[in-house]
Amino acid sequence: MFARSVSALGARALTVARELGGIVILTGQVLRALFPPRLDGHELVYNLHRMGNRSVPIVALTAFFAGGLMVVQSAPMVKNLGATSLAGWAAGYAVLRELGPILIALMFSGRVGANNTAELGTMTVTEQLDGLRALAIDPIQYLIVPRVLAMLIMLVCLTVIGDLVALLGAGLVAKAVLGIEWQVMYASFVDNLTPADFLHGVYKSIGFGAAIALSSCYFGVTVRGGAVGVGRAVNAAVVAAAVSIMLLDFFLTYVSA
Amino acid sequence: MTAPPPAPAAGRGPAGRVVTGLGDRVTRIGAAGLDAGRAAIELWLVFVGVIAGLVRQRRAGARRAPGATVAQLHAIGNRSLLFIVVTLGFIGMVMIYQGCLQFSRSIGDLSQVGKQFIRLVVSDLGPTLTGLMLATRVGAGIAAEIGSMKVTEQLDALRMSGVLPIDYLLVPRFVAALIMTVVLSVLGGAIMIAAGGLTANLSFGVNPRTFFDLGAVMPRHLVLGLLKACCYGAAIPVVAGFCGLRARGSSEGVGWATTAAVVGGSFAVIALDFALSVGALSLLGGKL
Repeated sequence: MFARSVSALGARALTVARELGGIVILTGQVLRALFPPRLDGHELVYNLHRMGNRSVPIVALTAFFAGGLMVVQSAPMVKNLGATSLAGWAAGYAVLRELGPILIALMFSGRVGANNTAELGTMTVTEQLDGLRALAIDPIQYLIVPRVLAMLIMLVCLTVIGDLVALLGAGLVAKAVLGIEWQVMYASFVDNLTPADFLHGVYKSIGFGAAIALSSCYFGVTVRGGAVGVGRAVNAAVVAAAVSIMLLDFFLTYVSA
Repeated sequence: MTAPPPAPAAGRGPAGRVVTGLGDRVTRIGAAGLDAGRAAIELWLVFVGVIAGLVRQRRAGARRAPGATVAQLHAIGNRSLLFIVVTLGFIGMVMIYQGCLQFSRSIGDLSQVGKQFIRLVVSDLGPTLTGLMLATRVGAGIAAEIGSMKVTEQLDALRMSGVLPIDYLLVPRFVAALIMTVVLSVLGGAIMIAAGGLTANLSFGVNPRTFFDLGAVMPRHLVLGLLKACCYGAAIPVVAGFCGLRARGSSEGVGWATTAAVVGGSFAVIALDFALSVGALSLLGGKL
């Protein structure tokens, strides 16, 4: 019983090590294809549109709710102190630095990262990657690099958009639920938030984008075993993305503070 | 009065771009709206089906798969344990780090940080972040399993042997997810608070006795937090099961279903959180 649990633990550790190593190798291959840039420009534009523009509604909705939620949660403090000028401070600070980038990254990982794993996984199990190789087209340059770049660029853009929508949501909910006027909320944002707060969130989203892109591509191209395998790979990819978002959030915050 | 001209069909213009007329766009919006409506009805039917399955299984003499719920409790709960501990522990550390930094810069008094943080975790962040994490891990898992069974026609085989797929597959997962989301939310909240207290003590020298101050937590916060956890626990398996049952085609369909389950589950958690928070706030007259 004891021996079996030890060997299960070891097998788990080996799997994690193999996946981490695979992601590092994939990162190396992507970087090598980027200097000098050898990638498919048409694919890049297509992926930028598909991954970025079409994620705007879900990201905006998520950010709106996140902004509103933080205002609702800071309501007791505001009511107790009678300091409505603090509502914008608490909500804006929490949304711009932490919750906004994290929630947007999680939604992005679900919508774009998981989708990407499913697509690459389907191509892998139907041997389309081997087909590309047979035509002397490098799958890294043709498929992986444009996707990684598109996810990196678009998560940063979506975080910028999402931050603005979240502040709008905070103002709207403050007006509708707490009865705080627009001007008070606006003044509270302007007085208490600095560009550094905004940039801190945007800077972290670069790391989140890289983590989502690399893990989703890695789990996509290593799929084994048909439809069941694709489902399992998508599951593994979103879990890996969620864990790495949380870990990166911690380390990036420590490094920059 | 002349009849309005027929809407021009989509075609390729000189620049190779798709030209669409107003009528075409209206058609597309209408189709998307109809699809959304149909999906909402199907989602509702899955929910009703699960509740009906629960009722049917409580009847005397009902056929039940022995041990299915226990197996799902293990798969959903125990195997998410490490994931929840790692993610919520780290986010607790970050939040306290940021909070202390801001409080020490603007107010200079760190004695309120722990009190407010614990209230926030109990009434909102603990259940919600656990729910988001479980929507990712558990929702994707359920959708992948049921989707794979759908496209390999195992669900049809079940139906042919007189077993309802919802009763056999989704009801045990529903029960297990409901229980385990509540349990893991409590655990996740505790981990968040513990990790936050550790960070406050190590990085900012806040006394643990000052930090772990439960003074701001009212019974209504606890009730709200548990209510949220229950709602997420019910929503995640229903959304995931709905997505899995809609899978079509082969591996591509399973991938789509899994993706839809992650997005739908996460969004359900955030929307439910917002609705419940605003509802509680207006019910309590602004004294959340």
